[in-house]
Amino acid sequence: MSPRPAYAADRLAFLLSVVPYLIDHPGVTVADAAAHFGLTPAEMQAQVERITGMGVPGATKTYGPEDLFDIDWDALDTEGRIYITNRVVIDDAPRFSAREAAALIAGLQYLQSVPGSSDSAVLAGLIAKLARGASAVPPSVAIDRGAADGALAVVRDAIAAGIRVEFDYLNARGERERRPVDPLRLESRDDVWYLRGWCQLRGDVRVFRVDRMENLRPTDVPAEHTPDEIALSETLFDPSAADLVVEVRLAESAIPAFAEYLSDDAKLEPDGDGFVRTSIRVAHFHTLKRVAGTMAGLLTVLGPPEARRAVADWAAAGAARYRTAGAEDG
Amino acid sequence: MPRIVPPEERQFALVLALLATEQGLTKEQILSTVDGYHQKYDPNGDNANLERQFERDKDALRELGIPLETVDAPGEPGNNQLQSYRVSKGDYELPADITFTPTELSLLQLAGTVWREGSLSGDMRRAMIKLRAAGVEPDGSMLGYAPRLKQLEPAFAPLTQAIERHEAVTFPYLRPGRTTARRHTIKPLALFQFRGRWLFMGLDGAGRKLNFLLSRIVGDVVSTRERFDPPAGDHSTEALRELEELWQRNTATVAVEPGSDAAMRLGRRYGGTTPDGRLLVVHYSDLALLADELAGFGPEVTVIEPDQVKQAVLSRLEATEWAHRDREGAA
Repeated sequence: MSPRPAYAADRLAFLLSVVPYLIDHPGVTVADAAAHFGLTPAEMQAQVERITGMGVPGATKTYGPEDLFDIDWDALDTEGRIYITNRVVIDDAPRFSAREAAALIAGLQYLQSVPGSSDSAVLAGLIAKLARGASAVPPSVAIDRGAADGALAVVRDAIAAGIRVEFDYLNARGERERRPVDPLRLESRDDVWYLRGWCQLRGDVRVFRVDRMENLRPTDVPAEHTPDEIALSETLFDPSAADLVVEVRLAESAIPAFAEYLSDDAKLEPDGDGFVRTSIRVAHFHTLKRVAGTMAGLLTVLGPPEARRAVADWAAAGAARYRTAGAEDG
Repeated sequence: MPRIVPPEERQFALVLALLATEQGLTKEQILSTVDGYHQKYDPNGDNANLERQFERDKDALRELGIPLETVDAPGEPGNNQLQSYRVSKGDYELPADITFTPTELSLLQLAGTVWREGSLSGDMRRAMIKLRAAGVEPDGSMLGYAPRLKQLEPAFAPLTQAIERHEAVTFPYLRPGRTTARRHTIKPLALFQFRGRWLFMGLDGAGRKLNFLLSRIVGDVVSTRERFDPPAGDHSTEALRELEELWQRNTATVAVEPGSDAAMRLGRRYGGTTPDGRLLVVHYSDLALLADELAGFGPEVTVIEPDQVKQAVLSRLEATEWAHRDREGAA
């Protein structure tokens, strides 16, 4: 992977964007401009001062005062307001790059499955605008419209209204329970949606797959815990001390597909024939047996023995169905 | 000592100079006058380092979507030294009629966060900075959602770039159902997501259209630098439509254990079960992928027909059991 000069590129994009913003908003306060671009007022002031030193080489091939941006320094010093008094060349925001437009368009198409954003006329209009606002034709990127899950809308409205929801939940062990939950945030990973919420039964934040919820209902009970009060981590599943450590043998070619189970510091030791050995952490074997079942020939659990047995029994029970079914057919 | 000009200031000065010129500036003119270059320019000496700097800055501008034009000197086509550079204002600026409402901005912000983890996150950050130029504040209408396109697949960025530049790519690919990867060289045409999976479509050496799953690309996607002329058409929409047709055509009937994870998840994904809740018709675009998914459900799913899906699932279950059962007498 080549190192990307993300910082310099971001700063150039900022300079090209803040100038038209300041031109369009004469007299904006340093504080407001800073908030708009996510900077501190001191940072914004420093950026504005820096812009005043820049411009174009003039008729004499040197930078004269008339060739540089300038501002009303009195207004800045006494009122904290920014007025551009001499502007150079640029008036409007830059276009999007083809890749920026393509990524935004793909993101918008993905959002078509999210209730609350599903006004397809608005989305289609936005997508057309982005394609037109790019400096080159964006690469062809498209996403099919998956069926929106009605449960998402119920949970989303409950978050907005600050009320508790209840649903029957089937966990990976196959156990079903009615769970009263204060909903905090709806998250997705590709096509799978998760609710992060405060579970009243467990007295802690839990993650629920939306497609495992049944009989979902909003209650009339106000939520005790709200998104402002509970800071959620960026990662969906946090490692816990109760996790089980499992040794696996994995085809190198399957590492990308298995990446979400590997920790960032996972050691991958070569094990011959294009395989590696590593250890992973799982909450319980029930998740593991399902994953292992989808990766026949690519993933083998090496230990502990209970983990191997859980996988073998699960697969054997599946295979046995075919022998029974065959007998029934006569 | 001349002041050291930070890279973004030098590049900003370059953009301004290129926008300001009508007829273009030669490399010589740029290096000798533009802020950040002229301080290091030696009128009598070797400016090789500075020239390399200029080449890198041109790439940086193009990365940001700034449409840099090169103009040949009259009567001297292809002469690098006499070529001049400019940026047309009309091609640089966002058209004046493109504006965004607060609700649209909220949507765009959410669309941007979808890429938070991947190799496009830098592009997204810069797109968000550009969006702020208009001064519109989002209305907060999309709070409460944190959608992510996981995009573990590092192939996404090199593929979008290759599609944009019409360059062939080479990459190792693990076909579903196989255990060893094979290298392919493909002219990529379209990138798309189908039923939660990222795919790309391209032409092989014989001009056949092939689909590849990004998650099965098991090494770096490398451009061959070989350019091609893409056939006309909206390739991603067409590829999606063809895959959808295939998906509608391919069906398997499975029995699901009532109340199980399989019954719930497959039921939601593929629509209703039969009245007794036991039989379910599932669609698929790739037999091996379907068999992988069904085998993960163990005893919760039994394939009724067709036979080839049944055999594929059973052989996976048997292989998994065999690999995990400790045999008596084994060391």
